[in-house]
Amino acid sequence: MRILAALRWLIALFAAAVILLPVVWTLSISFKPPREWVAYPPRLIPEEPTLANYQVLFQVGNPVGAIAEMTRSAESVSRAFLNSLIIAPVATVAATAIGFFAAYAVSRYGAGGPLFPLSVLTTRMFPPIAFAIPLLVYFRMLDLIDTRLGLVLMYTGFTAAFSLWMIKGFIDGVPRHIEEAALLDGASRWRVLFTITLPMVKGGIAAALLFVFILNWTEFLLALVFSSRHATTIPVQVSHYAGAVGRFYGPQAALGIVASLPVVGAGYLIQRHLVRAFTFGLVK
Amino acid sequence: MATIILDRMRKEFGATVAVDDVSLEIPSGRLACLLGPSGCGKTTTLRMIAGLETPTAGEIRFDGRRMNDIPPQRRGVGMVFQNYALFTHLSVYENLAFGLRVRGVTGREVDQAVHRFAELLELEALLGTGVARLDLSTMQRVALGRTLITQPHVLLLDEPLNNIRPGLRETMRAELRRLQLELRQTAVYVTHDQEEALSLGDQIIIMRQAQVEQVGTPEEVYGRPRNRFVATFVGSPTMNLLPCRLAQDDGRLRLVADGLLFGAERWARAREAGPDLLLGIRPERLTLGSGGLQAQVTLVQSTGAEQVLELMIGAHRLKAVAGRDRRFSPGQTVRLDFPSPDLYLFDARTGEALYE
Repeated sequence: MRILAALRWLIALFAAAVILLPVVWTLSISFKPPREWVAYPPRLIPEEPTLANYQVLFQVGNPVGAIAEMTRSAESVSRAFLNSLIIAPVATVAATAIGFFAAYAVSRYGAGGPLFPLSVLTTRMFPPIAFAIPLLVYFRMLDLIDTRLGLVLMYTGFTAAFSLWMIKGFIDGVPRHIEEAALLDGASRWRVLFTITLPMVKGGIAAALLFVFILNWTEFLLALVFSSRHATTIPVQVSHYAGAVGRFYGPQAALGIVASLPVVGAGYLIQRHLVRAFTFGLVK
Repeated sequence: MATIILDRMRKEFGATVAVDDVSLEIPSGRLACLLGPSGCGKTTTLRMIAGLETPTAGEIRFDGRRMNDIPPQRRGVGMVFQNYALFTHLSVYENLAFGLRVRGVTGREVDQAVHRFAELLELEALLGTGVARLDLSTMQRVALGRTLITQPHVLLLDEPLNNIRPGLRETMRAELRRLQLELRQTAVYVTHDQEEALSLGDQIIIMRQAQVEQVGTPEEVYGRPRNRFVATFVGSPTMNLLPCRLAQDDGRLRLVADGLLFGAERWARAREAGPDLLLGIRPERLTLGSGGLQAQVTLVQSTGAEQVLELMIGAHRLKAVAGRDRRFSPGQTVRLDFPSPDLYLFDARTGEALYE
């Protein structure tokens, strides 16, 4: 028994290390001056820690120094931050709302037939680039290229399937009798949906919101293809910190750390619901 | 209060017929028990009255008004579910208040009603508690209160006492009956427990395999069962049945069961029935005395108040109920008397009961 418990700990530690190492390394680089970025042998603790990588994100060209010189051509991250802070949440709320209603229809009325829930997943079965070309044609006609609306629509479409699947598991778990009881107490179908079912699946909705938000917040390929100046998001901005001589790992790491803060914070807040959502909602 | 009429109601789920041409009338203010083994269609019948299932055919009327197309929330029906169906994200108070709030009642009126019903059901101390943390019998009282508070004309109960421990069950049963009489609702109570049905119902509706077998008062279904199924389903221990035949013996009708003879003048009609008959007698009607037929005790079970004896007469196994004043032991020989007015006769082929 004791050996088994120790083994379990060992495996857990190993898994945690695999996941945490890149994060820790990114954090370390974000405080390193340029000559330490690719120094050999690598060192986890920066020899001369600096905040310059963070400063150049918001104040282009300031302070003076090697980093400022390198990133002179990059824009301030403010616009990318603003874009991401609009596009990701709006698309997330829209996708989760659509997912919730669709999940309810599927769970309670078998809407769309037995194959429907599976067929909506087909949007995730192809590499996004397969959709990018035809969508580019559509979006040019609709004048949606390089607009926030364009990305919001695209993200909503691509992530609604996930929220449907995650929330459906929770709605399946709400006994039908409870809704029937509310109905017989005199409530309308809509009222039952919003005052009974919705509060009972709020854990699933919170988890779906977070999961979809992560997808939208970190999406790179479509954002790169569909934005050039106005609708640039943070992941695209990260790619801007590169020049003829290579990637500017310091500012990239700094932006990566800053950008991951909202996700980590939200995840911490709803961690209680996450386990249930990721096992109950996705694993069938 | 409303008279409920079901007129040739039928419900099919795919190829299965759950309810087959059921016609019933439940008078206003009465409590009717839908009694039958599980899967007999009683819950489906109840759900059609509630409007939660759409009948495949037939009509349902409350006080003469056709209800088929009225959605459940506008039928004036309240229902208590077997598993209570409480709103687990709300407190006891909010569960009770739900139906009123939905109806647009606000403020003090809600508060007064909630407190009135909380007092009635002894829930006052628990109003602020979340319902997920209550024990089963308390949950049941909350479910009952939540349904009663809107004062529905029709109260539907789907095995509401199933999960409650014996003892408390009897108390709650009596409580339920008292409430229903006080509020004078028409109530339909689904149960598979014949004892519960007999003790609670004004009217007993016995169902089997999607059909109604008999409708009557508790005395009628117990005392004058229409067929073998009703006779054996109602009453505990189960009615004794002896295979027998009709015989003509020096001009008198007799029932012959393996050498046992019973007078059969009462059953002149039995001649029209098939040759194979079943003679029935309830265990509590068999009298143990000095006269009658000889039987051997094979098993004695005590229920506390009385004793249930398993007996053999020839090759037939019978049960009899005896008081506590005599002691019995296996192997002992006793004498059994079959009081003639307490005998039943069934056609063995159709199961139909034969009366004079």
